[in-house]
Amino acid sequence: MQTVAKLIDTSLCIGCKACEVACQEWNDQEFTLGTFGGTYQTKPELEHNFWNLIKFNEYETDGQLSWLMMKYQCMHCQDAGCMKACPAPGAIVRLDNGTVDFNHDNCIGCGYCITGCPFDVPRLSPTTKKVYKCTLCSDRTAVGLEPACIKTCPTNCLTFGTRTDLLRKAEDRAVELQADGSTHAGVYNPQGVGGTNVIYVLKDASNPESYGLPKDPTIPWTVSLWKGPVKLLGSVIFLGGILGTFFHYIRFGPKLEEEHPDD
Amino acid sequence: MIDRFNIKERFIHWMVAICFIYAALSGLAMWSRHLFWIATVLGGGETVRALHPWGGIIFALALGFMFRNWASQMKLDSDDKVWLKMSHRYAMNDEAGVPPSGKYNAGQKMLFWMQSAFTLLLFLSGMILWFPEIMPRTLRLGAVLVHPLAAIGSIGGIILHIYMSAFAVPGSLRAMTRGFVTPGWAKAHHRKWFQQTTKIEDERAR
Repeated sequence: MQTVAKLIDTSLCIGCKACEVACQEWNDQEFTLGTFGGTYQTKPELEHNFWNLIKFNEYETDGQLSWLMMKYQCMHCQDAGCMKACPAPGAIVRLDNGTVDFNHDNCIGCGYCITGCPFDVPRLSPTTKKVYKCTLCSDRTAVGLEPACIKTCPTNCLTFGTRTDLLRKAEDRAVELQADGSTHAGVYNPQGVGGTNVIYVLKDASNPESYGLPKDPTIPWTVSLWKGPVKLLGSVIFLGGILGTFFHYIRFGPKLEEEHPDD
Repeated sequence: MIDRFNIKERFIHWMVAICFIYAALSGLAMWSRHLFWIATVLGGGETVRALHPWGGIIFALALGFMFRNWASQMKLDSDDKVWLKMSHRYAMNDEAGVPPSGKYNAGQKMLFWMQSAFTLLLFLSGMILWFPEIMPRTLRLGAVLVHPLAAIGSIGGIILHIYMSAFAVPGSLRAMTRGFVTPGWAKAHHRKWFQQTTKIEDERAR
């Protein structure tokens, strides 16, 4: 099965938030009032029952204000930090179409995925004590439908398709934007996490931070160390300890009272 | 028979031991997917995730009592320093040249200090890992390394501790279950302590 992806052309986003509504509707999420941060943004951050947030970034260059709208959600990384950190078998799965999906029957709520995620996306629900995020509408894509946010987008800012097609489309669009005057236009598909299934076209790809995206995201090195060499060290010490003491007994035996010198 | 551990010491020790075993097993269940079957045995992943921190807190508290009770007896003296240099001889049951020990030998003392330090690290990093949605990201990124490393050290130390007490030095286990040891055991393994206690008894008898 081909990997599916979502293309977000930030140059076409008008900040209508229809995708936010569609996400809440399709996923049957209750809208809870949050903090008003003094911007047009619905909430300051993602929440366990709010998986799709348009960030209204206010970015100033040479005294000129740009309003950079950016759809913020799970990136569905090819090399996913949440999956690496998760200890519960089958709680975070990669579907055949490349989507990273959470299976809540198996989630134990440890929250390690929150720490493993380079984009700070998963959120723990205080009521169910389980972690939630965008599913790329796996229940829609499974039956050949596009995700709800894409279905509803009125400006074609969002497109759904196979990852290969969309990457080509993204490159074409970046060239178009460059010809149009945005000399730094480019594609955001960070290689530090093996590429993502959510691909952005940014008007200024040299500065993804202005959109609130990390410049070169990777799985945190402490998480990689924890799930790699530290795990090996643990196995060596536990098994070595048990086998070592056992063979010590075989070789040297117990300390007997009468063997002590000068008695 | 010589009294070695009174009821208070035995109670604290076994509180620490029971909590340690629960915390270690439930922790191992969340440490690797290959060990997740332990979670199934202990009531499921959600149960383990909910109870592991409480088990850890009771463990840390009990160890705090243990620390307060024993810390003053665990200072290394000059004989202990020589003992540590000769510990390979001790391990090979070839004890010529290994200096006599007091109530605790240098190995036991080192175990005490190491377990205390590891427990402090486990407690601090555990408090951070308990609340992933509240704790700052940088702290969590450190805690995911500190917690398993301290646990590896701690479990490694306890494997050695169980081996020494239950298998390598016969007669030791009874000191912690029933509280006493034989004079022969005391003389062989803790000579300075044996001389001290028997002298006190001699004086009492006089």
